[in-house]
Amino acid sequence: MSRERLEKTIIQILRVMGLLVFIAIVAFPFYWMMVSSFRSLGEILLKPANLGLDIRKINLHAYYEVLFQHGFLRYICNSVYVSVVTVVLSVTLATVGGYAVTRLRFRGREFMSYSILLIYMFPAIVLVIPLYVMFSRMGFRDSINLLILVYLAQTLPVALYMLRSYFQTLPPEIEHAGLIDGCSRFSVIWRIIIPLSAPGLASVALYTFMIAWNEFLFAFMFLDTPEKFTLSRGVVQLAGSVHLSKQLVMAASVMVTLPILVFFLLFERYLVRGLTAGAMKG
Amino acid sequence: MASLTLKAITKRFGQILALHGVDLHVDHGEFCVLVGPSGCGKSTLLNIIAGLIQQDEGSVLIDGQSVDRLAPRERDVAMVFQNYALYPHMTVAQNLGFGLRMRDVPKQIIREQVLETARILGIEDLLDRKPRGLSGGQRQRVAMGRALVRRPRLFLLDEPLSNLDARLRASVRLELRHLHREIQSTIVYVTHDQVEAMTLGDKVVVMRRGKVHQIGWPETIYAHPADTFVATFIGSPEMNLYRGRLLHKDDRTHFQGAGFSLDIGGLQLNLGESELEVGIRPEDIAIGHGGTPALKAKIEMISDIGSEKYIHARLGQESMTIRAPREAAFQPGQVVPLTVDPDRVHIFHEGRRISWPAGSCSSSK
Amino acid sequence: MTRREPTFFDQEARLAFWMLFPTFTVVLAFVIFPVIWNLWLSLKAVSLGDLRGVSLFEFNMTLENYRKVFGDPEFGTVLLTTLIYTTAGSVLSILLGLMAALLVHGEFPGRSMLRGLFISPYIAPVVAVTFTWSFILDPQLGVLNWLAVDKGLLAQPIPFLSQRWWDLDLLGVRVRVPMALTSVILFEGWRYFPFAFLFILARLQAIPDELYQAASVDGATPFQRFFHITLPQLSAVLSTLFLFRFIWTFNKFDDIFLLTRGQAGTKVLTIRVYDYAFGEFNIGASSAVAMILFGVLSVFLLVYFRWIAKEE
Repeated sequence: MSRERLEKTIIQILRVMGLLVFIAIVAFPFYWMMVSSFRSLGEILLKPANLGLDIRKINLHAYYEVLFQHGFLRYICNSVYVSVVTVVLSVTLATVGGYAVTRLRFRGREFMSYSILLIYMFPAIVLVIPLYVMFSRMGFRDSINLLILVYLAQTLPVALYMLRSYFQTLPPEIEHAGLIDGCSRFSVIWRIIIPLSAPGLASVALYTFMIAWNEFLFAFMFLDTPEKFTLSRGVVQLAGSVHLSKQLVMAASVMVTLPILVFFLLFERYLVRGLTAGAMKG
Repeated sequence: MASLTLKAITKRFGQILALHGVDLHVDHGEFCVLVGPSGCGKSTLLNIIAGLIQQDEGSVLIDGQSVDRLAPRERDVAMVFQNYALYPHMTVAQNLGFGLRMRDVPKQIIREQVLETARILGIEDLLDRKPRGLSGGQRQRVAMGRALVRRPRLFLLDEPLSNLDARLRASVRLELRHLHREIQSTIVYVTHDQVEAMTLGDKVVVMRRGKVHQIGWPETIYAHPADTFVATFIGSPEMNLYRGRLLHKDDRTHFQGAGFSLDIGGLQLNLGESELEVGIRPEDIAIGHGGTPALKAKIEMISDIGSEKYIHARLGQESMTIRAPREAAFQPGQVVPLTVDPDRVHIFHEGRRISWPAGSCSSSK
Repeated sequence: MTRREPTFFDQEARLAFWMLFPTFTVVLAFVIFPVIWNLWLSLKAVSLGDLRGVSLFEFNMTLENYRKVFGDPEFGTVLLTTLIYTTAGSVLSILLGLMAALLVHGEFPGRSMLRGLFISPYIAPVVAVTFTWSFILDPQLGVLNWLAVDKGLLAQPIPFLSQRWWDLDLLGVRVRVPMALTSVILFEGWRYFPFAFLFILARLQAIPDELYQAASVDGATPFQRFFHITLPQLSAVLSTLFLFRFIWTFNKFDDIFLLTRGQAGTKVLTIRVYDYAFGEFNIGASSAVAMILFGVLSVFLLVYFRWIAKEE
């Protein structure tokens, strides 16, 4: 066998093995999360090493309990509200701002573009204590709308940066044609930029949604009242209050994970683009 | 239809001086072509006229009125872009009607005008298609149509033919000429292609490095290039240009180049012995006897382009291109005598043309 | 000077200002201001109980907080832990990402599905994956320990996330493994390899086929092609990835906090920020640690923008 053939065979074998190992390691936690959420406390305690999923024994009681006894119905609504409002505001402001930075000439434009990138590198842990102190003092820290503003500050620079990169790929002549044809800058954005940037906007929306939906630290620090909890905050609360009933924590985890993964699978193309374009913080 | 006047337009991009005090006047209904190598500022100038770029100094006047403070949409101009810049998300009909729609023209009138324009350009059957599905030539037509439909005061065309293949370019050029005659509009047309400039323009503006080198009719520019840049830029194959000195011998003036001497007749110039340049167009050189003393060149290579032949020869230490009829039968290596009509010789001092009474237009023989 | 009417371009500049105004305000209020406020807090003796008093605004600066933070006997350990966690976590996630990218690169059925699967650890909410892993690694109820004990691989369950040291007998040599720290680093690798994976995959796909064809014609075998073409082509993206992962892992709080709360030898600087504030109610010291984090970040960013970003 030639060296070429030999190496190719080795590579093929390594590849198949490697893929299997990777798939197992990546998928197992998600599988386990789901399987455990379908079990009763008894099963969890008696047979912790049971890897299989018995379809006849699927038990949705954990979901019932989490939703109706631990207030997760409320948390879901809160999370949806927070994420959707953040996405809408963030995408709108980033579109307008990203357009200004890309196409309009003004003093400090270069500085603006640079500082956007810098700001989005600022870590949350550095910001959370001073914000906590400030809003505790002002007395409205425990507020879901304040949380939205914080998320907006976290997502806007990235969103603006991503949209700026997208807008830069559009030929400026199309906008020039629009300006000559009688558009104002706002009608250029509305009639030309937005229709042409649909994929870019989708990436940004998805990415922003992901940040807001998954966010833990600020929700954990800012929210005190259970009625205001987001899902992430709720899961932490639940995990701290039940000791053995892991099926409840897993059911809650499935609830917080499922929407984002479904979204992601539906729009994978856009999200991957968003992740690589925005070089996500995380 | 309108006239356009540019007064001392200057534009800098950072350190680079993109336009250097450009003055220009384009009359009602005139077809004005801005031509020059890439980076000469011609597109910048067009964008300034459209109001897409702001000049640093100077003023743009349409019909004698300054439009410097007006937004592009208020200037009532139309522009055709090199890459056409069609709205990709709109159909051809929507593309054509967009400018009218933005100006709140009633729907019925938009429909009529779009149809009318489409008919003129022969694109009625494309109206429901999206730009993505069109060929280059069709897109070019739609781009023209989008400009045409609004009947603006001024048409600005930025290299509209450069993305077409050569054959199509020639036919669209002709059509453009017809169209201009038909609608009698004022056009400013930017190109880097001297053939386009010469065939289309009523008036040609030759630019380089942000400066206007010459403005004139195509014939004038060809026959009386203002400087060595215009001389070599316009005309293909390029004009032969030689550096040397003038010598006066027995009432005649000779040009002493590197390894050759050229009789240019009874020219009297008070330049003394200073260095100057002499230009001869390839078609102004005849192979055969006639001149005294005979100029001799050694043929090095022959390019046969079918309709004629370009003969590349060595003259003294210089090289020379000669345009010869296709029947001409020469061989590389052959040494041939040359004849040059002294009236057709261009003389430049310090790069600028010296106007002496002769010239190919008023050739007096 | 004559007053001139605003031109279209003057109006555009004003328009740009208003278009950026909301973003600017939000960022100023929630990013820039907190950093400055943080610096202020770090120079004052503030406890969590003082938040409502007036002392917050008094102009009495002190370096006491920094003295306390640097003088803390634990500080050296915390710094070392942070560096180990950051370096090992970054390297591991990039190595795994590189492996995954090489595995997925190329054409085969189910490729885009695999790509989707491989990104999911990164997409999933941090609370869900940390609690799931805690559950899997749990010494009492965790599936991993039960399986290992069942199959006789382990004599007794290991508390992966709550035991500081694990004495390992390797061919007669006793090795002390920092158990919880290792688990946390492995988690870091699992969760963040997709980030490297995406970038490396994108870079791999950008390597022109002609390079490989030319190398094949020149007689290079597949392994040689990998070492002489693929790796050099990836070097730029690998170093940039390392820098970014390093910065972000250095400032990572959520993962360790949710997995171990910083117990069992996993206390890193970010956990210290939280501990000072909510464990010792010392806001000043907490802010001082945050300022140290911020300082380190600034140095890295400076390095990046001065040297690396320029080269690309």
